[in-house]
Amino acid sequence: MTNQEILSVLAEAAGNPKKQLHHHLSQGRKVVALAPVYAPEELIHSQGFVPMGAWGADLELQEAKAFFPAFICSITQSIVELGIRGAYEGIHAMVIPTLCDSLKVLTQNWKHAVPSIPLIVTSYPQNRGIPAAQDYLKSGFVQISEKLEELGGTPFSEEALAKSIDLYNRHRKAMRELSSTLGKHPRISARQRSDIFKSAHFMRKEDHLELVEGLIEGLSDQESGGLPHRKEDGPASRTRVITTGILADHPRLLNILDETGFHLVADDLAHESRQYRTDAPTGGAPLDALVERFCKQQHCSVLFDPGKGRASYLADLATRENARGVIYFMTKFCDPEEFDLVPVKRNCDAAGIPFLSIEVDRQMSNFSQARTALETFKEMIEQRRM
Amino acid sequence: MYSLGIDIGSTTSKGALLADGNRIVATALRNAGIGTDGPEEVVKELLRASDLDEGQIGVTVSTGYGRTLYPEAHYRVSELTCHALGAHFIFPGIRTLIDIGGQDAKVISLDGAGRMSNFQMNDKCAAGTGRFLDVMAGILQLRAGDLAGEAALAESICPISSTCTVFAESEVISHLAQGVNRKDLVAGICESVATRTGSLAKRVGVTPPLAMSGGVALNEGVRGALSRYLGVEILFSPLAQFFGGLGAALYGYQTYNKEN
Amino acid sequence: MAEEVRKKPAPPDPDSARFKLGAIIEKHYREVHEAKARGEKIGWCASNFPQEIFQTLGVKVCYPENQAAAIAARGAGQKLCEIAESEGYSNDICAYARISLAYTRVKDVPEQNMPLPDFLLCCNNICNCMIKWYENLAEDLDIPLILIDIPFNTGYEPGPDQIAYVKAQFMDAISQLERITGTTWSEDRFREVMDISNRSSRAWLEATGYTRYKPSPLSGFDLLNHMAVAVCARGTVEAAEAFETLVKEYKEAVEKGTSTFRAEEKHRFMFEGIACWPHLRTTFSALKNRGMNMVATIYADAFGQVYQDLDGLIRGYCSVPNAVNLEKARDTRIGIVRKTGAEGLLVHTNRSCKLWSGFMQEMSKQIGESCDIPVVSFDGDQADPRNFSAAQYETRVQGLAELMEARKKGE
Repeated sequence: MTNQEILSVLAEAAGNPKKQLHHHLSQGRKVVALAPVYAPEELIHSQGFVPMGAWGADLELQEAKAFFPAFICSITQSIVELGIRGAYEGIHAMVIPTLCDSLKVLTQNWKHAVPSIPLIVTSYPQNRGIPAAQDYLKSGFVQISEKLEELGGTPFSEEALAKSIDLYNRHRKAMRELSSTLGKHPRISARQRSDIFKSAHFMRKEDHLELVEGLIEGLSDQESGGLPHRKEDGPASRTRVITTGILADHPRLLNILDETGFHLVADDLAHESRQYRTDAPTGGAPLDALVERFCKQQHCSVLFDPGKGRASYLADLATRENARGVIYFMTKFCDPEEFDLVPVKRNCDAAGIPFLSIEVDRQMSNFSQARTALETFKEMIEQRRM
Repeated sequence: MYSLGIDIGSTTSKGALLADGNRIVATALRNAGIGTDGPEEVVKELLRASDLDEGQIGVTVSTGYGRTLYPEAHYRVSELTCHALGAHFIFPGIRTLIDIGGQDAKVISLDGAGRMSNFQMNDKCAAGTGRFLDVMAGILQLRAGDLAGEAALAESICPISSTCTVFAESEVISHLAQGVNRKDLVAGICESVATRTGSLAKRVGVTPPLAMSGGVALNEGVRGALSRYLGVEILFSPLAQFFGGLGAALYGYQTYNKEN
Repeated sequence: MAEEVRKKPAPPDPDSARFKLGAIIEKHYREVHEAKARGEKIGWCASNFPQEIFQTLGVKVCYPENQAAAIAARGAGQKLCEIAESEGYSNDICAYARISLAYTRVKDVPEQNMPLPDFLLCCNNICNCMIKWYENLAEDLDIPLILIDIPFNTGYEPGPDQIAYVKAQFMDAISQLERITGTTWSEDRFREVMDISNRSSRAWLEATGYTRYKPSPLSGFDLLNHMAVAVCARGTVEAAEAFETLVKEYKEAVEKGTSTFRAEEKHRFMFEGIACWPHLRTTFSALKNRGMNMVATIYADAFGQVYQDLDGLIRGYCSVPNAVNLEKARDTRIGIVRKTGAEGLLVHTNRSCKLWSGFMQEMSKQIGESCDIPVVSFDGDQADPRNFSAAQYETRVQGLAELMEARKKGE
């Protein structure tokens, strides 16, 4: 497949999760949905399910209003909205972690709003550095595994889990490689970059891995990657930036990033690169590896971060990627991100890295302020260069 | 060489015509913004006032929310960049600019040379914007332009604590029902906008000298309250509404000279 | 600012519970200040952090949540919230957190001062917002942060794996705090603190239980004030004695037929959520004027933990109101409504508290159906005065009164 063909397959998957779901079901596969932010995907995969990400959708909230007050994060609200409207019909379970207050709320509202789809809760420990946390998490994983078996999954098998972990580690490595490759290819648009990451949540990892590896290879062939120039302007004039936040997948928002001339050279979005930063160790007992992988994860707003390592991580990432600015996509009503915003901005300011925060949510209809802010940000960065 | 800047906002269109990037030849304003013939009217007015014809304009730059809807422009630039340029033109040495527009509020930091070094825009809530003033004026059966005059006559300030526009509406109505003087209420409304905008300004950092631009800058009630809240003098120019247009014209002049 | 200034009160009786409870709060703040002045390391502490730890070690702490409530009740909530917002904090963040983070900037708020801490004790059994708030405090003040992570209980009861995880952290927190403060753990003293805490909790539960009498010998809003003692001094003998005095007074009041609710008790209702501290007078008057007495609140049980041993103690902290699932939270409230004979439920949809308000619509609906009582909610905030509309509140309370009235007439 050419790069262009791979990109259109990924875009198609990213844009049609429902079609992906129906495709999986039509192949006789069992599907489990995963709410943000983390899930023991390898375990679910090893017991014969296709894990599919469920990060909500951009839609008007109606049914969900019977359950949530207006000031709860719209990602969680839209998951319930989709659930009530039947978008998840056919799946075996919804897996939700209790990593933030809105997600805790989601677990409880889900039970009563969508009683037809079983709920599996993942209780992650926050004090990840102590041995008792690992015991607690492991015991939680065992319970999840039992529940998966009850729901028609294959029984737990160390061998199967080891295989799944190997697949996921390879996929994570490929996604990291891809991200750094895209940093060298301003011809891949923000929209296309998002599609690559978003499609990973909907496709089987086996299939996604193959496409991503193909794309990496295709892009390494030649400087242009065999891709046409973007029509808006020449690649040289694109401004290198990194993005952070929970998610930024609205096509209109991404188009604005492209039209205003940004090149996303790396990201720290929960929906994108945060998923792929940490591998599971190999060699030991696979369930322990899964536990260890979670406990090793860092620099994330929903994981206890006493030294605010995320702030320095971002400044380092910007420097390493030669980025000229940091864009913080602030999901409205997301406590963890709203608290982190202040130290992250402070740290960027201190390091002299231009910083912009843009408020986003799942009901965005007016993008003119975002456009103005992004254009101004670009102009400001360019002025600095002069 | 003549350069023309046109600032197309949500409710108004403003324009400025500059000669050689240093002399204001004409300014014009129409109370008609995006999606109207306001911009064309403003350009016609500028040409009429300066006795020029279209062919004599070297460069045209559009800015404001409607900047993309003006095909005649040679360049399109965001209103923050233009406001910064325009403010620096009127007040050289300015370091902070606050612009309260119809849809949103912006605070801009400038370095000593007049370049924008940082900026912040309001969040989704309309509490600190021109729209909030329009809604409140409507409840009190006033026009937004009358608010400053009313506030100036207030004997005391009746504080409006709600930030949510809907809650503020009911708060204003219940104050009216309790017999609170309308002038005192207007003063409270102006103060509420000033507090919200002032808080936004503090996020960016307030370095004097500080100026205000945009239509709300003309409102002495808001301006005075903001000055008290921030504890700094606020520079004011009767041209405050034209900073965006002026900046656009200036940008056009500078860019044209650089590129040719 | 709040209720207390209405009329010139009679000189306080030093033997009254009210005097004793007030004195405990004064002493609490004074002791922390004195300890700090002596050069001892003092902490800031989350309201539901296991207080047995620092009580046993003899380490002084104070409570940012209590401070924020006091600042809000005395009218400075908005000022402090605005300071936090000008630092870049969204006005969607919990107002207690905003007030507290602003306090570390200004360091002097006459409405309620506290010495700055040398360490932080955080527990997320009431919400995960606590973790983020304390992370930022630790970053701003550059001091150590001890977290006891108590995961949200999605099952009905905490499982043995959760108890083990929390217990290990309990032990770990002791060692960390010993290191920071140079104090030493004593098992004997720990048993003593557990005994005192149990005694206080039993007295607190008994006192709050008096709302079951008709009419109630107390105005339920009194509990909102007394609660501060339950939070900050549960492990002290003074608190136990003060609550026991409270029990004695309520008992006498029942016998004499008197009440601290200074109106005819026409309706008895349950209040759900944290008080609207900045609008305490408005919220209370609207109720009192209609003869509505709050006789039921989850607070009563929240700070009355009675346990036999360490496992029981841990289980208690794993089961505080916001740590449990909808079914358990619902059933506890249904029990309270039945016990107290509450005839309606008034729900504070609290903009500051996502966890408390997030599944309240469904839960309060189920409580209303199960107990066959009307449910009415209003929008407000525990500390930011800007998120409340007096007009909306009046209308909603009136509505609830009318619903309760109609049911009585129908009977």
